[in-house]
Amino acid sequence: MHIYVTGAATTQFGELWGVSPRSLARGSVLSALKDADTEPKTVQALFVGNMLSGMLGGQEHLGAFFAEELGFSVPAFKVEGACASGGLAMHNAVNSLLSGQYETVVVLGIEKMTDHKPEDVATALMGAGSEEERSAGATFPGLYAILARIHMREFGTTEEQMAAVAVKNHYHASLNPNAQFHNILTVEQVMRSSRVADPLKLLDCSPISDGAAAVVLTTRKMKRSIEIASSVVATDTLGLAQRKSLTELAATRMASDKAYKIAGVQAADIDVAEVHDCFTIAQILAMEDLGFCKKGESAKKIHTVINPSGGLKGCGHPVGATGVKQVVELVEHLRGTAGKRQVKGAKVGLAHNVGGSGATAVIHILKK
Amino acid sequence: MQSPVKIWRNQKNIASLVGKTGTILSWTIVRVPPGDFTDQAPYPVVLVALEGGKNVTCQLVDYDEKHLTFGQKVITIIRRVMHPDPDGVIPYGIKVKPA
Repeated sequence: MHIYVTGAATTQFGELWGVSPRSLARGSVLSALKDADTEPKTVQALFVGNMLSGMLGGQEHLGAFFAEELGFSVPAFKVEGACASGGLAMHNAVNSLLSGQYETVVVLGIEKMTDHKPEDVATALMGAGSEEERSAGATFPGLYAILARIHMREFGTTEEQMAAVAVKNHYHASLNPNAQFHNILTVEQVMRSSRVADPLKLLDCSPISDGAAAVVLTTRKMKRSIEIASSVVATDTLGLAQRKSLTELAATRMASDKAYKIAGVQAADIDVAEVHDCFTIAQILAMEDLGFCKKGESAKKIHTVINPSGGLKGCGHPVGATGVKQVVELVEHLRGTAGKRQVKGAKVGLAHNVGGSGATAVIHILKK
Repeated sequence: MQSPVKIWRNQKNIASLVGKTGTILSWTIVRVPPGDFTDQAPYPVVLVALEGGKNVTCQLVDYDEKHLTFGQKVITIIRRVMHPDPDGVIPYGIKVKPA
């Protein structure tokens, strides 16, 4: 059996103070259904990827919440896996189709973060870490800073090289109308930005964002369908202290190894990749762990175009939406409708979505 | 979310980690803290390899800047980790200081 994306859409990402979660859901899902040329009544289940609705918004039971808003009277689920919630929702939706239970389902990734104070958001996000990390007063910038310092020592990675990731992703975001940021950055600006968790600075970090993305998945090939060639999840320890290796995110390596095998491709075949750059060091780790380059060589030129959407850094990171947005971006490139940021001739795409400091990794490989 | 029951239950875990020596594997300085730690920032958070093979993530206290280095020897101590919860129970936990 094959699974296809037939419709894909995102909302604007950013500080959307005037927009409610209900509006974000309606906007993205109705656009995705229209894109798929499908009637809402054909949808047989709804999978919602979201992390913080309970901790920040006080609203759980999100399956029913959004099904009501969308007028869907179908089975509806919230799937949570920290910043990989969107990717995990995709994976669960794919499995539900493979099981034969449904023929057409909708995946909605959504997060509303900017209604709340940054300290409250930082506390809520630490729900993705371990109790030990919370007691230490660690933050996610802090945990990735700990990984960055080890990478700098082991492979000679510099703060300027990390800054270059943010510069590149902001350039891509400047070409993406739905991105949170459209400003061009320089390495000097990143280096001069305020320190958040040394050696990471403000402009090494993805922003706090609002946004939603939705896809329609079916088992029937239709016009403009893009095939999901593999959907794989890997899990590592929740806390950094329990990891075997601190120079990689092993979950990324395990999930991508398996995903390449299932899809029958190699890292070198990937034309376009949306990778999880929650911090600049995370994109460097991703490029290595996905096999696009060797350890410490991410600055070298490679075939694959990374994060044409602007990534989490430039496009924004509404955490539950990100994993679904990555798939939407790949669909645009594989269809050839990505406008100014189109990766020419893209045939194979990879989405890489990470939860926490690497406890969850989700890989989707898409083919034209 | 703090809970007196959870604090009580964790006491024996904390006690078993006191007085152990180890070395710093990596570190950061948290300057934008979570809500419960706003009065402490900036503070160093270190990843420590304890003798015996267990790693822990915790705060470094009673330190000078020269102690923030790979391989610095440290020892685990008991400290208050954040403000008392609304019921007045003080949450204690493990931190490290230079050995």
